[in-house]
Amino acid sequence: MNGDASPIVRLMRALLIPVLALIMALLLGAVIMLVFGDDPVKAYRGLLYGAFGSGRGWATTVRKMAPFILTGLSVATAFKAGLFNIGAAGQFLMGTIFSVFVGINFQGLPVFIHLPLALLAGLLGGMLWGAIPGLLKVTTGAHEVITTIMLNYVASLFAGWTVYAGGSQGQTPGPLWDPTAGPISETPDVLPSAQLPWIFGPPYRVHWGIVLVLAVVVLIWWLLYRTTIGFEIRTVGQNLKASKYAGIRVNWTIVLTMILAGGLAGLAGGIETLGVNHKFAPEFSGSVGFDGITIALLGQTHPFGVVLAALLFGALDAGGAKMQFDSGVAADIIQVIQALILAFVAAPAIVRSIFRLKRTPEQVKPTVSTSWSGPG
Amino acid sequence: MFKRGFLVTFTLTLLFALLVSACAAPAAPPAAPAQESGAGEAAQPAAEEAAATDFKVGLVTDVGRINDRSFNQSAWEGVQQAAETLGLPEENVKFIETQDSKDYADNIQQFVEAGFNVIVTVGFALGAATRTAATENPDVFFIGVDQFQVPGEEIPNLVGLIFEEDKAGFLAGALAGHLTKTGTIAAVLGTDLVPPVVAFKEGYEAGARYVKPDITIISTYHPGEISQAFVDPEWGAATAKQAMDQGADVIFGAGGITGNGALQEVAAAAEAGKEVYCIGVDTDQWYTVPAARPCLVSSAMKLITPSVADLIQLAHDGNWPGGGNYVGPVALAPFHDFEDKIPQEVKDDLARIREGLDDGSISTGYGQ
Repeated sequence: MNGDASPIVRLMRALLIPVLALIMALLLGAVIMLVFGDDPVKAYRGLLYGAFGSGRGWATTVRKMAPFILTGLSVATAFKAGLFNIGAAGQFLMGTIFSVFVGINFQGLPVFIHLPLALLAGLLGGMLWGAIPGLLKVTTGAHEVITTIMLNYVASLFAGWTVYAGGSQGQTPGPLWDPTAGPISETPDVLPSAQLPWIFGPPYRVHWGIVLVLAVVVLIWWLLYRTTIGFEIRTVGQNLKASKYAGIRVNWTIVLTMILAGGLAGLAGGIETLGVNHKFAPEFSGSVGFDGITIALLGQTHPFGVVLAALLFGALDAGGAKMQFDSGVAADIIQVIQALILAFVAAPAIVRSIFRLKRTPEQVKPTVSTSWSGPG
Repeated sequence: MFKRGFLVTFTLTLLFALLVSACAAPAAPPAAPAQESGAGEAAQPAAEEAAATDFKVGLVTDVGRINDRSFNQSAWEGVQQAAETLGLPEENVKFIETQDSKDYADNIQQFVEAGFNVIVTVGFALGAATRTAATENPDVFFIGVDQFQVPGEEIPNLVGLIFEEDKAGFLAGALAGHLTKTGTIAAVLGTDLVPPVVAFKEGYEAGARYVKPDITIISTYHPGEISQAFVDPEWGAATAKQAMDQGADVIFGAGGITGNGALQEVAAAAEAGKEVYCIGVDTDQWYTVPAARPCLVSSAMKLITPSVADLIQLAHDGNWPGGGNYVGPVALAPFHDFEDKIPQEVKDDLARIREGLDDGSISTGYGQ
């Protein structure tokens, strides 16, 4: 660590690449809009005002942030142990399904039992889906990149099956399907006793889940940087052989990290379902699990950095409608900008060479995925 | 050193310029309507008193493009048509493309906050979000394209625009009955889980039997669930081929991309010299599926564009029909390349059937 550098200098160094990447992405996005004859000033102004220009804009930004923080944190936590968790999308879905299952059943439970139970179910679903690639890695050496990608498909098809409305030729409907929905494949609404209450009700629709999410961020930060387990996770990520030599139970740490990462993504699914959607339909899954990868990298795999990156992604999502409304620019440009950010943070060498930055030996360098070899 | 400094300065200046212009201007431009100024209470009385230029119409698409050559585009063309008739300035007519089905409510809310008078939402999937928004904003008119309003649960400021698919199907069936030489026709359909598809099919069969009572009709529904039934062109093509093998020489494709697969399969056979025809659905598929042109005699259309334009006009003039459903017209699309190949007596008979359907002397038998 940078013993001699002041905290401010260290913070500046950590922020340098992400901020430059964001600037580059926005500028390149502007160039693309100009090429297509759109007005980038109008578009970015709309984006800014859509995300932060009104109470409802802020509310939307904050609401969209919550799942981004948790999936980002999931990927970032795995990175700390040198693991590349591409499975946040599948873990998010399993969390969603587990939460919905508890949420639509158990009529008559009081809120203070039902709601925590439904949230725990989401956590558990994600943990289970994270544990599988962790166990496969330590027992068979199967790389987590491959297994998590595969498990994303399994989760997506499983989730689709649970709400399947049945076919016209008498195929059996899925167990969680809402019979009153007719031909639509979706679950019933979760019972009111399992819904996260509003901080600000409609049209703001900000729920208490965001507070819970921020508490989880602090908890994960404490776990990673203030406990023995966290130290072991980070050591395994930085040098596998050395940590083995030092007596760290590497296999156990890898499985634990994957369980933790899966749980975070699963909780994201649970909170999004119990707080916003109140039910599950296959088209709700979205890209929040994959966005977690960009958010973790942009946040330099630090819990607080992840919050900032999630704020940015929440704002990009929330401002998109207003941007279209004011400038007529298609909202796809948001995805272009997000992809450009990913490209620039994933390849800091590009940013360094463009801005002629020197690579300082003490550069704050986040641990990301290590080698492709197994732990053996 | 100089180079690096220059680049950094240059970039920062550019960014700063962007930020400043982004922050400075919002008071001025007409395109950025004052936020939360008259959230919602713009409408009913205002619509009648105010000059036409204060009238604003917005459209929220279902997930997909505004130029999808289908429902979104037809509805948007209706909005533009109304805007032209009413002489609305460009900034009073806007659309938002939905990126994610979770954003329906947010996108509708953009228009509400900007004080829009009429909001058109396109597609069955936006039904729930539209009902919520209509209840919360009783002074804004909502038009829900393809959103059936259940009797007894009407909302006064929300109209569901629906169509009599059975009549469109009847016309297509009558055309098929006139065209067939083998005495066998077919329909390749999306799932019977969706009522409009059933209406198309029942109407098609009734129309064919009306002109040729002893006709053989091979109608096949997609066996899968709703999420696959309309996006399975391979199944559509295979089913169309099977029907042709059984002697069908007119094939009606009604089921989104699945139906398009059937049309293309028939088109391929027509190009190979077989005398077969196909009929499209929903919009004039001459434009939406150019690959089907070798066989496409017509399409059973829902006339979304004029219906949306009419409803906007009614809202503007203070003649809003009130809550419930508004039944839009249906029609056969032009014959295009087949204009000369269709005998005049067939055209005359179709016109007669059209009149009969309109005045009630001919019934499709559907829903009775």
